[in-house]
This record gives sequence, structure tokens and C-alpha cells, in this order.
Amino acid sequence: MVGRQIVLRFKRPNLQPSAFLPSTLKKMIELKNIEKYYANKGIKHYVLRHVTTTIKQGEFVSIMGPSGAGKSTLLNILGMLEEPTYGTYEFFGEDVTTLNERKRIELYRNHIGFVFQAYHLIDEMTVYENIEAPLLYKKVGSSERASRIANLLDRFNIVAKKDLFPNQLSGGQQQLVGIARALAAQPSVILADEPTGNLQSTQAEEIMQLFKKLNQEDGITIIQVTHSEKNAEYGNRILHIADGVVKEDVLVR
Amino acid sequence: MFKLNLKIALRNLFKNKVYAAINIGGLALGLTAFVLMLLYINHEESYDTWSPDLKNVYQIREKHAFFTPDNKEHWNEISNSRIANLIRTKLPQAIAVTKVDNDWDFIKGYSLKIDDANPVMMPKIKDSDSSFFKVFPYRFLQGSEDKALENPKSIVLKESLAIQLFGTTKVLGKTIKVIRWRSDEGTSLTVTGVVAEPKYPQSVSFNAITRTGDRDKDPENPTNNNYCLVYTKLNKSSDTLVLNQTLQKMYVDFKKNLLSSQKKSYNDIYKDGRLPGLKVIPVKEVHANPPYAMSWFEKLKPVIAISAFLLLVSVINFINLATAQSVQRAKEVGVKKVLGSHKTQLTWQFLIESALQSVISLFLCIILIEVVLPAFNNQFKVDLSFWHNAQLFAMVVQLFGLFVFVTLLAGFYPAWILSNYNPVSVLKGNYENGLRGIALRNVLVVFQFVISVTFIISIGVMQMQSQYMSNKDLGFERGNLINIKSNYEDNFAERLKKIPGVEYVATTTQVMGNTFNVPEEVKYKGNAINLNTVTVTMDALPALGVKVLQGRIFSKEYKQDTINTVVLNEAAANLFGKNIIGQTYGKVDWEGKTNIFQIVGIIKNYHNEGFDKSVLPTVYKVTGLGGTSNTNNLLVRFNTSKYNDVIGKIEKEWKALYPNYPMEYTSLDDAFSKSLEDNNRFVNMIILFSVVSVSLSLLGLFALSTFVAKRRTKEIAVRKVLGASNLQIVNLLNKSFLILVIVANLISWPIAYILIKKWLEGFAYRIDMPVLPFIAATIISIIIAVLTVSIQARKAAVSDPVNALKYE
Repeated sequence: MVGRQIVLRFKRPNLQPSAFLPSTLKKMIELKNIEKYYANKGIKHYVLRHVTTTIKQGEFVSIMGPSGAGKSTLLNILGMLEEPTYGTYEFFGEDVTTLNERKRIELYRNHIGFVFQAYHLIDEMTVYENIEAPLLYKKVGSSERASRIANLLDRFNIVAKKDLFPNQLSGGQQQLVGIARALAAQPSVILADEPTGNLQSTQAEEIMQLFKKLNQEDGITIIQVTHSEKNAEYGNRILHIADGVVKEDVLVR
Repeated sequence: MFKLNLKIALRNLFKNKVYAAINIGGLALGLTAFVLMLLYINHEESYDTWSPDLKNVYQIREKHAFFTPDNKEHWNEISNSRIANLIRTKLPQAIAVTKVDNDWDFIKGYSLKIDDANPVMMPKIKDSDSSFFKVFPYRFLQGSEDKALENPKSIVLKESLAIQLFGTTKVLGKTIKVIRWRSDEGTSLTVTGVVAEPKYPQSVSFNAITRTGDRDKDPENPTNNNYCLVYTKLNKSSDTLVLNQTLQKMYVDFKKNLLSSQKKSYNDIYKDGRLPGLKVIPVKEVHANPPYAMSWFEKLKPVIAISAFLLLVSVINFINLATAQSVQRAKEVGVKKVLGSHKTQLTWQFLIESALQSVISLFLCIILIEVVLPAFNNQFKVDLSFWHNAQLFAMVVQLFGLFVFVTLLAGFYPAWILSNYNPVSVLKGNYENGLRGIALRNVLVVFQFVISVTFIISIGVMQMQSQYMSNKDLGFERGNLINIKSNYEDNFAERLKKIPGVEYVATTTQVMGNTFNVPEEVKYKGNAINLNTVTVTMDALPALGVKVLQGRIFSKEYKQDTINTVVLNEAAANLFGKNIIGQTYGKVDWEGKTNIFQIVGIIKNYHNEGFDKSVLPTVYKVTGLGGTSNTNNLLVRFNTSKYNDVIGKIEKEWKALYPNYPMEYTSLDDAFSKSLEDNNRFVNMIILFSVVSVSLSLLGLFALSTFVAKRRTKEIAVRKVLGASNLQIVNLLNKSFLILVIVANLISWPIAYILIKKWLEGFAYRIDMPVLPFIAATIISIIIAVLTVSIQARKAAVSDPVNALKYE
């Protein structure tokens, strides 16, 4: 852990494309010199190298790159599911690389919503209960819970499905529930790992439209990992990663 | 949250119905065995706890040699009756002291006669003195504690006996005649009280307490002693250590006085550090500390161990299935962690799931107990009840404790494993973690099978030994032979001999069911030989149908047989040597005179006790030379197998002669079955436990193999795509389990060998250690294991690989 304190901070070219975004937007995520490697028999296998970037509130960022480029690892680090081997990660100005478990769980409860490629709904819970779960962990009162869930069900047009179990739904519907669940706790950021990877193109389009709407109308920060150039276009910023290095950081008009 | 977790738990149970059923059913079986044990232990522990006043009541124990099994000094429950008076006069703390009859093995009961009604045999009629109810605070339904035994010739009945005899408890002033033996004239006693049955069992149990007056005084002649139980009530609960020191001092003085009045010297008898002894023990501890027999706890130890093992086996099933199932739950854990669940919250959730299953098993277990309790009571000769139990509250507390214990034991490890899943790897679809704990699961499966295989081997050997015993030649003909509980009286015997169908009427002191051995030492060719003497009548050996090996047995034709001839059994003959027919030996009688006996025959050893004891070297004689002994055996041999009518006629003769005492008899077939009873009970219990244990292990194996097959679905599919046949797939799955079963067999062989050897050594007549059960157990365990696993393996093997490979 001491190692992290003596990071050599290189001056990196500032790739931040903040030109079109109001500079008044609050800095949400600040990565400095993030590295991730696995040591195997003394040889370091780098997954991420020198990743430095800032993500502000209200951005919709797509992380793109070929298989094995390190996109998912970066997302996991952003979601605090994995720890970087090097570098600092500040979330709302707080260094979270050395966070204890209790504090990290607090962040999960209040600030981060996850959306997965394989939906990862809990099979033993109904749609309603799946959406309710994060609210229970957040200890939201029962009437508040009911109204929030009703709201989400209504908004996503899945009211009729609320008592069904995940295996009774189509993939697209499951992903809708997954997103509803992620939104239930009113997080500051949604981290989505290939949210449309398992979906047909029409369903995928619906999901991406939804993300875009959430970002533009509700101002929710979204970070997604995707393979598809088309899906990436829905966002307003694309980070291209290859071999663990951020190659390109471009704005989308 | 709790509600939701409970919901999830229930949904999971329904989703995996079969495994849930195996888990819950198995646990219920294990719990049932254990709770039955608990019931029994509670029952035994509850002895003499029926009144708070009993904490000041103590039993007196004296060290003496009267009627001890080896005729040497030991601590005894029965004390010299004079001790009661000693305590009453010399111990200031003693409020009351009472003397009461002991339970003697050879007294089955007394005959009770009310007016002209038929006499009834009633056990546990005990004679005491006026203080009995001052020491034991029974609740009087009729009469009162201070008046009941105030006068001699009075009797106090237990409620149940009053109702049995009179149909009511309002029986004060009625007269009951107690006849203590066949030709006793009887004593008429007046009913002066009826007491209620206490809530808990009593070590001094009785149907009636009499005060005939015999217990009021001690023998006048100082060389005569009378032994009985002595109990005292002290004014406060005392430190027994201090108390015993006081008693010991008192007792030494008492013993000195007694011995000097018997013209013996205290210093001659008590030298070399030997001391007389007198002590008290609290009445609550009496039942747990019988002087000679093993205490109930000692007897129960193996059974407690076995039922604890069964519980363990079912808990192991639980752990195995839960950890195997954990793969299915991994995703849930991962998602919940990401949604913001604490690890402790997850641990609680899974513990609640275990608790839910334990609760269901506990309810099942209570139902099972209700079902099997009658059989259990019958086996162990107790009267236990779950609901009508005075200790129901304590029982519920114990059950709750057991529930918490089982839940933690069974649920904690799986809960810990599950809540430790790393969300990143789980959500990536990487179930490597599911392999964790596989070593532990293998160890647990081996452990289960070690227990099961040991059981199978044991029942194999036990069955062979039981077969051997029930088919063994007893050395006498046990059919068509009855034993009337009476000594030999010429008048009665002659009457019986005239009844058609009766072949022999005879008596002996040695017959299966009632044996009274008298040891003696004889001199033969200068060597001392220790023998066991049995006095018989002329017809006794033919009546038993013994086999003559050499010479002859007694017969009326030989006058000499009433003078000085003897017959030896084989065991005795072996001590004498060869060619002993016609030889003589000498025996010094109590007056110092040497009597000469002539050996006329040798018979084959015949069994007169259980197979755990070897037949003693015995000499049989008809003659009164050198002293005789007798006991209540009257053998009647019939020459027909339909002898029920004949018995009717015998009973008629009995009634004519002894109208006040009912006739009791046993057939020798029954006596033989009774000698096997204890062993059969034990074997049956082991068989029962084995069946439960083996089925539990198989259920566990079945469920586990299902999960393994499921987990290896992808591997199986890939192998099939590569061209493996169904049989190869089945073999693949079988192999991993087969190794476990074989390892278990290897471990259980030596364990079973040691245990079984110890068990067999308890029999004087036993089979050699057989090899067959060991091999059979191994083959059986392998076959059933293969069958169990194959059911699941086949299912996995014939499934379509496309389904398994489609999603990844």
C-alpha cells in the first residue's frame, strides 16, 4: 500500500475535451496514472497503463476497444470492484483506492448503479423485488419505496410484468429491469458493461435510446463499455482503449 | 429485508424440492434419534426430583460384605438395620430416619388377598417403619402423613394400586392380607392412606408401603444382622464431606461395640489400613450411582455416541448439499454485493435459510418422535412421552438449543463460503470459487461412508453371532419343559406326577432363568479343585434332558445315589483329568469332617445363563451329604407338546393346596428367549441405526452427485462433442465417487475390526471373527454408491450437448 504513495506523476498531454461542456460541471471521477498488472512468475502482464482521465457529472462516456484491451477492467476499477495496482482514483474528490469495505458499500448504495451484459437479475426474486432490493439496502422507507418502484415500472412500461420472475421475460425486458434496478437508488453514475451485448439489434436500440434519454433529461452520468461504434455514438464522449492505454478521447456531436 | 430473505429462502426450497426434502428429511431423522436420547436422559436425570424437600434427604451406604457379588467388602445400598437407630440417636441434624425393604432380585412380589377374592401377585410391596412418610414427602390423597403409619399392621397404597384393587381411592379402613410366600399364613393389614404418584420417577419405588412391625426393631442377638435401605432427612442441606466425617467417627465406635458384643476384636478385623465405612449420598444421586451395576449413563454411552454420530451424518449432508448448491447462488451473492449488501447481511441471509430448514426438520422430528416413541418405550422398557412430559418446558429449551446448534453447525460454513464470493469473478461467469470446499466435501463424504460401512460390517457380524447363539446346542431339551416358581414339596410333586402328560417333576438349583450357584472346594488326589455345587432331585437331569458322555446319571435303581454319588459336567471333569468314572474325592464340611463322594457319570455342559458367561465346572448331587441348597425351581417335563390342558390341571392342584398364593411359571423356551433378549435388543437397535445411517449417506451421495453432474455439464458436453460415449461419461462421474467410497472402506475395516472384536469378547461362546461381512460390506457399499451416482450420471450423459454449449 505504501507503494501507492510514491507514484511518479508524469505530465500527460491534456486530452480533456471539455470545450463544449459547461466547465461549471462538477468533477465526478478523477483517475490519475491508473495501472493494473498481474504478476506471474516475475513477469508483469499489464492490463492497464497510465490511464489518466476526468469524468464530470452529466457526461455519457463510452469506453471502446478490441477484446482484451482492458475496457472491462477499467470499468471494474471505476466501479471499485477491482483495485488498481498503481495510481489514484478520486470519486467526488475523495480518494477511494484505499477505501474500506464499509465505505465502499456506502458508495454502492448511494452513488453507483451497475448494469450488466448478462442482466444478472436475481432469479428467485420477482421483477418488483429485484427493483426493490437496492432500496432495502439503502434503508428507504416503505411508502417511498413503493412510489419509486411504481414510478420506474410505469416509466419503463413494465407494470404488467412486476410479479413475473426474470426467466419469464425476454432479454430486452430483463435488461429494462436491470436498468430500473440500477436507477432505483438514484445513483450519481451508472456503469454499464456491454448492456446490449446479449440483445437483438431492435432491443439494443431501445436500450440505448433509454440511456440517452436518462442522460439528457435526467442528467444521469453514464459510463458504458461497448464494442459497437453505433452504440458509442449515443454518448457524448468516447474513450478508445487498446492494449491497456487510452489511445484516443473524442467528443461526439 | 428479513421478509424478502425469507421469501427467497422458501422459493429456493421449492425450486430444489428434492434436495430440500433430502436435507430436511435427513436432518429430521438425525434429530429424532438425538431427541429420543435427550428424552431418555431427561427421564433418567429426573429421578427423585419430585419434591423440593428431597434435597435434604440422604441415603445411607455402608461398607460390608453381606450379599456382595464376590463376598468381599464393598459400598452397599443396603445397610445393617441398626444404623438407623445409630443415626436417630447420635446425629443431631437428623429429623427423621427410616428403614425400608430393598428390591431383591429373587422376590418378584407378594400375594395380596382381599376378603375372598382371588389372590393377586403384586411387585414392590415394601415393608418399612413409622417414619417412611416423614422422610419421603408423598402427597396424601387419603389419610395423613403423621397418622398413616402410626400403628403397626397398616398399609399405605399408591393411588394406582388402590384403584386397581378397589376401583376407588376411598379405601381407608379396608383390610388387605399380604402373603409373602407360598405357605405363608399372611398378615392382615389395614389401609391407612393413599398417596399420589409423584411427577417424576423414584429410586425407592413402591406400590404399597406396609408397616408389619418387623422393621420396628433390630435383631436382638448381636450376631444376627438384618439389612435394608436406610434413608434420613436432615434439618438442612449439609455438606456431605463434613457429614461423612462425622458419620465415619460414629460408625467406628458403633462397629467396635457391635464386634465386642459378637465376641470379635475390632483390631483383628480392621488392620493394615482397612477401615469400616459409612457415608451418605443425596437421594438425587442414588439412581445415577448404583453400587454394582453400570449406571444408566455408562450403559447408554454407546447409544449416545451412535445417535450423536447420526446427527453428525445428517448435518454433514446438510453442509455438503448447501456448499454444492452454492454455485447456483453465487450470482445472487455477486449482485447483492454490488447493490450494496454487507457481507454480514449475506451471512445472515444464508443462516436464516439454514434455520428455516432446521425448523422444518424439527417439526418433522417431533412428529416422528410421536410415531416411534411407543416402539422406543417398548425396547427400553420405559414410559416416555413428549407432550405429557413434566419437563416439557426444559425439553423445549433443549430443543431450541439443539436447533441453534444444528443451524450454526450446518449453516455457518456454507454461509461463510457464499458470502465470501468475489462479485467480479462471479459476475464474469467464473465459478472457480464453486470448486472451493471440494476437498472438505470429499472428506465429509468419506466420513459418512466410514460410519455407514462400519455399521454394515457390524450388523453382519452381529447377525452371525446371533444366529450362532439361537442355534447353539444348549445341552438340554428346552421344549415341553416348564419351571414353576416354587420349591420341591413331596406332597405337591406326587400329585403332579399322577397327572397324565407329566413325565418328570424335579428340582434343581441350576436351570436357565434361575440359577443359584454354591461354590465349594474339593480334594482329589491331593489337589484342590474349585467347583460349583448343584443339588438336584433324582429326576432332574432326565427332566432337563441332558446328554450323558460317560457313565450314568442318577436313577432310583441305585441306592447309592442317595448316599454319596455325584455327576460332573464336562467342565468339571476336565479339571479332574481322565478316567475318573468310579473315582472318589473328598470334601471337608463345616464341622471339619471329610465326606467322600464317588463320581458315577459325566454329562455334557448345559447352558443355564446367557452366552456371555461360560458354563461353570459343576458337580450335581442328589444326596444331602455335605449340605444341600434349594431355590424356587420346580421343573415339569411333559411328554406331549400340547401341554396347556396339563398346566390347567397343575394349577387346580396348586389352588387346592395354596389358595392364597397364585402359581407362576415360565416355559424354558421363554427363559431361553429372555436370555437372548438383551442381545437382540442391542442388535435390533444397531440395525435400525445402520439403516438410517446408510440411507442418510446415500441420500447425501445422490444429491451431491447430482450437483457434480450439473456443475460438470459443460465438461460433459464438450467431451460428448469430442466423441465420448454415454458409458464413458457415466464412468467418468462414477470414478470420482468410487475412490471416496473405497478410501472409506479402507478406513472403516480396522475401526470395525476393533469394535467388533471388543463386542465379541463379551461372549464366552462366540464365533471366530468372520471375513465375509468385511468383504460383503465393501461390495455392497460400492454397488449402492455406483447405482446412486449412475442415476444422475446417466441423466447428464444422455442430455443434448447443444443445450449446454449454447450460452456462455
